[in-house]
Amino acid sequence: MRVDLGRGLALPNPVGLASGTAGYGFELRNLIDLDRLGALFTKGTTRLSRSGNAPPRVAETSGGGLLNSIGLQNPGVEWVATQYAPRFAEWRVPVVVNVAGENEADYVHCVRRLEGVAGVAGIELNISCPNIAHGMDFGRDAGAAARLVEAVRAVTVRHVMVKLSPNVTDIAAVARAVQDSGADSVSAVNTYVGMKIHRRSGRPVLPDGTGGLSGPAIQPLALAAVAAVRAAVTIPVVGVGGIVDAASANDFLLVGAQAVQVGTATFVDPNTALHVLQGITALRGAHTVSG
Amino acid sequence: MSATLDARVEHGPIVSVERFGHLVELTARLPALASAVRPGQFAQLRCSATTVPLLRRPFSVAWTDGDLCTFVLDEVGVGTRLLAAMQPDAELDALGPLGAGFTVVHEAGHAVCVSGGVGCAPFPLLVRELRRAGVADITVLNGAASAAKLYPPERFQRGDTAVHVAEATDDGSRGRHGRVTDLLDLAPAPAAVYACGPNAMLASLAAALDSIGLTRDTVAEASLEAPMGCGFGTCLGCALPVRRADDEAAWALCCTDGPVMRMRDVDWHELSLLPGADVA
Repeated sequence: MRVDLGRGLALPNPVGLASGTAGYGFELRNLIDLDRLGALFTKGTTRLSRSGNAPPRVAETSGGGLLNSIGLQNPGVEWVATQYAPRFAEWRVPVVVNVAGENEADYVHCVRRLEGVAGVAGIELNISCPNIAHGMDFGRDAGAAARLVEAVRAVTVRHVMVKLSPNVTDIAAVARAVQDSGADSVSAVNTYVGMKIHRRSGRPVLPDGTGGLSGPAIQPLALAAVAAVRAAVTIPVVGVGGIVDAASANDFLLVGAQAVQVGTATFVDPNTALHVLQGITALRGAHTVSG
Repeated sequence: MSATLDARVEHGPIVSVERFGHLVELTARLPALASAVRPGQFAQLRCSATTVPLLRRPFSVAWTDGDLCTFVLDEVGVGTRLLAAMQPDAELDALGPLGAGFTVVHEAGHAVCVSGGVGCAPFPLLVRELRRAGVADITVLNGAASAAKLYPPERFQRGDTAVHVAEATDDGSRGRHGRVTDLLDLAPAPAAVYACGPNAMLASLAAALDSIGLTRDTVAEASLEAPMGCGFGTCLGCALPVRRADDEAAWALCCTDGPVMRMRDVDWHELSLLPGADVA
């Protein structure tokens, strides 16, 4: 079940926890055996700490969706490097730090700060956060995404995974651009821009109007995006979006993803990723026997 | 101590569903939750075996009896309607206990619980634990929109004559005609004040307590609510406005910093500016 994504990032199995749905692992460690999972992708981490957006920050939508506008609340890269990473180093689960920023210098600062820090297994570049100013600027423009990856590539020998935004006309073009500028893998997809109207007030529930939509409602959309990305690049692809069980995770593997991330379903049941892992293992076993 | 340290997912059969006017008491066999929960802590309940509705809903544990846990709910949205429609022997999926509970004062003279509507939920368990901790007598001030939304006095008292209940309704259909904070004169000089209810009620209680001038060491705590994603501190969705010790504005998480917070830490003005819950 081991998955080698290249440049030093090898996952013990293909099931990870998606950025923004597992924090930095500390709460979940009390609830589940994190060390059985393939990877933990941390909350988006920025150059300086961020206190996050004004509430309400989450709203459930009909049909199995969750809108969020958290605003990348995080303690900042210095805190992660000095206080959290030493604890990650004691865990068996590889911890990939998700890095976000408003400009190229922010990303480069964070990646450089994490370089050589024990406990950090790799970098996931978040070029696709819909809930902060400029959060999606890089993810929307293949040229800008490529230049960012090039700049980051220059300061790290670590595995760099790029988390792609689905809020683009041509996700395959962005995937190709980041591959050509040195990304080791891509994860697809981040949340879809969505809106919910408060039925009594007639106004959007979230203060900024829109938020990022996740949950089973987006799984078919994410699957199509992953298939398009798979067809466009040769580097590994990690599928994420709406996985709730082994079957919905296996769909991503069937369209060519090497690994998956379980996101919003962890909120509903913290054991979901472990159930997915168990189910995928069983499916693979069945496949081997019959094939 | 981490707020999720004792939490786990537990499945157990529903043993009873009782109605008290608009309020519903759901009791299920959940031995781990029953033995670990402290007053004011909550559990996240699955409302459906499918992904619609997707998220669990948070409920205070209202009562424990051996292996049994009781929750009180008001049917305000799709999740609570599904829970209220569950039948005995159906399996309830609970994640808990979660969050920070009330500070149980010991050997104190008099404690007051101020409840608004379904905010009654944490108080039966709190009242029992306060009495076990040697609190001499307790007054529950119980308010609601109408008589049909008032939790019955006996559910707080459970036969304990040292527990007194005074009632108020917005429409005057039972108890004093007015707000629950109008009843505060019935409970002078308490050693501890505990509150749970709508934000507006809690804010007006905080203002009333300020004008009474409670001493700095009087326990004054409120159980708050916020739209919640996970309930265990990872989604960061349930932010509430607070004032830090240096009076700087900050966000606290309802699920792990709360749901019970010291009333003086909450920024009631900021909280009052937030839009009402969207539960449809």
